[in-house]
Amino acid sequence: MPDDLVLPEVDPASGIGAGVVEEAEEFESFLRWSFIASQLAALAVLVVYARRGTRFIRESAAGRIGTGMLLGMLGLALVWLSQLPFQLLELWWLRRHDVWKAGYLDWFVERWALLAAEFLFICLWLLITMALAARFRSSWWLPAVPVFAGLALLFAFLYPYLVVDQRAAPLELKRDVARFAERQDTEPVKVVVEETSELTSAPNAYATGLGPSRRIFLWDTLLDGRFDDGQVRVVLAHELAHHAREHIWKGIAWLALLLLPLLGGVAWLTARRGGLYQPRAVPLALLALVAGSLLLSPLDNAVSRELEAEADWIALETTRDPAAARALFRDFTREALEDPTPPHWAYQALATHPSIAKRIAMATAWERRKR
Amino acid sequence: MAEPFVRFTVTDDFRRSRLTVFFRLLLAIPHFVWWVLWSIAAALAAIANWFATLVTGRPPSALHRFLTAYIRYSTHLFAYVNLAANPYPAFTPAQGYPVDVEFGELERQRRWVTALRLFLAVPALLLAAVFEGSGFGAWSGYEGDEKSFAWGGGGVLLVAAVLGWFVSVVRGRMPFGFRDVVVYGLRYLAELASYLFVLTERYPNVDPVATPVSAQSDHPVRLTVADDLRRSRLTVFFRLLLALPHFVWFLLWSIAVFFAAFVTWIATLITGRPPQALHRFLSAYVRYSTHLSAYVALTANPFPGFTGAAGSYPVDPELPPPDRQHRLVTGFRLFLALPALVVSGALSGLLFVSAFLGWFASLALGRMPRSLREAQAYALRYSAQVSSYVLLVTDRYAFSAPVLEAPEQLPGPEPPPGETPAVA
Repeated sequence: MPDDLVLPEVDPASGIGAGVVEEAEEFESFLRWSFIASQLAALAVLVVYARRGTRFIRESAAGRIGTGMLLGMLGLALVWLSQLPFQLLELWWLRRHDVWKAGYLDWFVERWALLAAEFLFICLWLLITMALAARFRSSWWLPAVPVFAGLALLFAFLYPYLVVDQRAAPLELKRDVARFAERQDTEPVKVVVEETSELTSAPNAYATGLGPSRRIFLWDTLLDGRFDDGQVRVVLAHELAHHAREHIWKGIAWLALLLLPLLGGVAWLTARRGGLYQPRAVPLALLALVAGSLLLSPLDNAVSRELEAEADWIALETTRDPAAARALFRDFTREALEDPTPPHWAYQALATHPSIAKRIAMATAWERRKR
Repeated sequence: MAEPFVRFTVTDDFRRSRLTVFFRLLLAIPHFVWWVLWSIAAALAAIANWFATLVTGRPPSALHRFLTAYIRYSTHLFAYVNLAANPYPAFTPAQGYPVDVEFGELERQRRWVTALRLFLAVPALLLAAVFEGSGFGAWSGYEGDEKSFAWGGGGVLLVAAVLGWFVSVVRGRMPFGFRDVVVYGLRYLAELASYLFVLTERYPNVDPVATPVSAQSDHPVRLTVADDLRRSRLTVFFRLLLALPHFVWFLLWSIAVFFAAFVTWIATLITGRPPQALHRFLSAYVRYSTHLSAYVALTANPFPGFTGAAGSYPVDPELPPPDRQHRLVTGFRLFLALPALVVSGALSGLLFVSAFLGWFASLALGRMPRSLREAQAYALRYSAQVSSYVLLVTDRYAFSAPVLEAPEQLPGPEPPPGETPAVA
């Protein structure tokens, strides 16, 4: 992406319609405030749990690490309960705007499955940190960073094999990717379609995997006829650019960097309870972990926006079709009710992608430079 | 403690006529015809009794007599069919049958309990399905485009009776354990019938201790229960999910146990005794799986450890040290274990349904009902004995009678002198 790139001012309503923009703003505003309220509720629960959660030690007959796992899981269980009303409200909102199709029962089952995954994650996290704390005491966080970065690499490698509802992409998409790979000076990447249309109407795509597991996943909602071939090609080029510019590796490197202050903060805060060697420090560690992640998320999101902007630029260079790119971004607002110009504070704190207005402006900027 | 409304007496001597055992079901056909007719009359009488008790607060004595006679006759018939007794029963409920039941006097009943009787009986009906084996559905896969379901099978009574049939035909004696399992089931069903027919408002008691068993156990694998029945509502609510890390660990450990058990089997065949280190490893696995099952089924409250350490959990199996084992029994261990595995499978239904009911009870009360906990302890004890047998921790066969520990004194006849009782 050129260093001297200046994005022109664009009218977000142009080509979309003021009514749709207004609806998108209202839609995202609701979700934004619901998210903030839910995070405050989660923090409140964790503060109480950090003070009183140690009483659950008596519910364990396990050793040090097993008891720590129990406390970690119970903390997440309480957070899960505190989030249910907000998530239910969001589900109602998404269904009201036809973005989410699945029923309440499906949603509830999915919530339980997610909680199960969170339990397994926190147990693994505590197994590693508490085992390291036994060996390195208060310095456990230093060796923990490479361990977690390694696990993130492993997960990134395995993820494409874990997606259940996937099928091969149409031949023409594979040909497009092969052509784009040449232009982006990278190896072709496998394209797969993930079937999500029974759950949602929102379009999406993502790049994942490392080395031989590299994949581009396109949700089948992108291929249901609402987006033309040119728009889908922009998506493909964008996702391929993530692979071509090693964004997954860079993302994990950033994660390792962010883990240093995060885990260091957890170690510092829990020191007063004997450090993470002691299960009684787990409730406090949970609070520190969640609060720290929230504090660091603006930085993390800024990095993410940079990488996404770079992928957008490369997609324009690859497809040389700014009109298709603009149409795609406008349709994101039309179909997924993405607010084209979110408030500045919300954009800085929460957005993982450039705003729709910025993405349209970039397509226009590319077009002007090439004239 | 109040006298129970339903009192079982067992005077059976375990002897069985091979000829009548072989044709038992066919011989019972006249009884089945009579029983169906009587059941229709009993159902009508039960409805009448429900109305009468709702109005007067007490069952009419004529209906009480008729319905208790029906339950007594059913008990005789199904004791005969399930091989818990030998003599052909009378068509009228005469007293003195080897597996007999007595009932308490007419008693007053609360009207609201009477009014809601069918609704209140639902948990007990679920437990009854475990004994009868008629209430369980198991999804068995697809046939063409349609899902197919397999119903029934696996009831505790049925399993004990079928296995007992083979032993009785061969040896002319019913094994202690199987006979007592059948008596346990019949007692529970008789209590349930009394409750459903509005003869009493005392809830059916699934506690195995309430069953008059005749066999004492000196099995080397015992279960120690030091649980105080208190349950944390939060951990109860999330119990299955909280056990997830244990499920992962259990799976990994099971893979290692598969190979360890094979090596132990070879070593025991050669030396006649399991190697100490492997015995320790397998014993820890048996303990761990019991701790985990107890946690998941709400038989105990605390989160278990991951090592299966002895004495570390309120529901803990005591396992014997490595000892000499018969090479012949070792050689055919898996084959010999099949009947015990079938019984264990049937009893796992008891564990599951008790856990399901106990989940609601524990959430509401913060306590696990004692009777459910004891029923689970019985199933877990048996399961630990089966695992110990399969994994060569001991060569003593699992003992299926519904006893938790070796009791000091138990009612029932002594086995005839000079005869080795068949124990299963």
